[in-house]
Amino acid sequence: MASTVIGAGITIEGEITTDEDVLVTGTLRGKLTAKEAVTVEHGATVEADVTSASLAIAGSLTGNVVANERVDLQAGARVIGNVKAARVTIADGAQFKGNVDMDV
Amino acid sequence: MAQARTTPRAADAREARIGGSTRIRGRIHGEGDLLIEGHVEGDVAIRGSLTIAEGASVASEVIEAHAVTIAGALQGDVSASGPVRLAPGARVQGDLRGTAVSIDDGARFSGRLDCEFDLPPELGGTPRGESRARGPARR
Repeated sequence: MASTVIGAGITIEGEITTDEDVLVTGTLRGKLTAKEAVTVEHGATVEADVTSASLAIAGSLTGNVVANERVDLQAGARVIGNVKAARVTIADGAQFKGNVDMDV
Repeated sequence: MAQARTTPRAADAREARIGGSTRIRGRIHGEGDLLIEGHVEGDVAIRGSLTIAEGASVASEVIEAHAVTIAGALQGDVSASGPVRLAPGARVQGDLRGTAVSIDDGARFSGRLDCEFDLPPELGGTPRGESRARGPARR
């Protein structure tokens, strides 16, 4: 279970730094730096640059993403921004506009 | 290895939690309940209940919520539409406003209490709405 949860009705505007998992089902604007996994649920809105170990997106994300391990754009995801990670998957049904950098 | 996976979590939908190693600088607002175990610098305005857990620290101008329970450190004013409770171990610097305020043994508080309640007639109580108890409470 994620240690930090931004619930569906909650909006955070600002900067988040954490060593834990983060689950976003609400709204986040600003910047997110996490040492563990970040999950953006369906219905969530993230307008932030995200740095994390891994990132799974089923909601909407606008911003640049850097992940140490992987980024998974799941069905229903809507992502605008650049993605940098060693592994990137884009599922059927995910919308994506931006650059992918797999560091090849 | 950290793995991220999205799963439907209906129970989590209305609640938010700031974990112990999480630091937020900014504004938090919205509906639902909020549990703070980490560190928050900035204003908090929510419709649900707010809990500042032991070990957490919050620095803010003003906190608006329904019921507020504090067991951690808070620097800033509280404006609650429900009851405010300072649990043992709480360290609070700021003014408290709520329908009821309780300070448990072991809580440290420095600030003003602004709480509306009816005084009993022998203390010169007047009908609700006019009576108002105010006063600095320090320890």
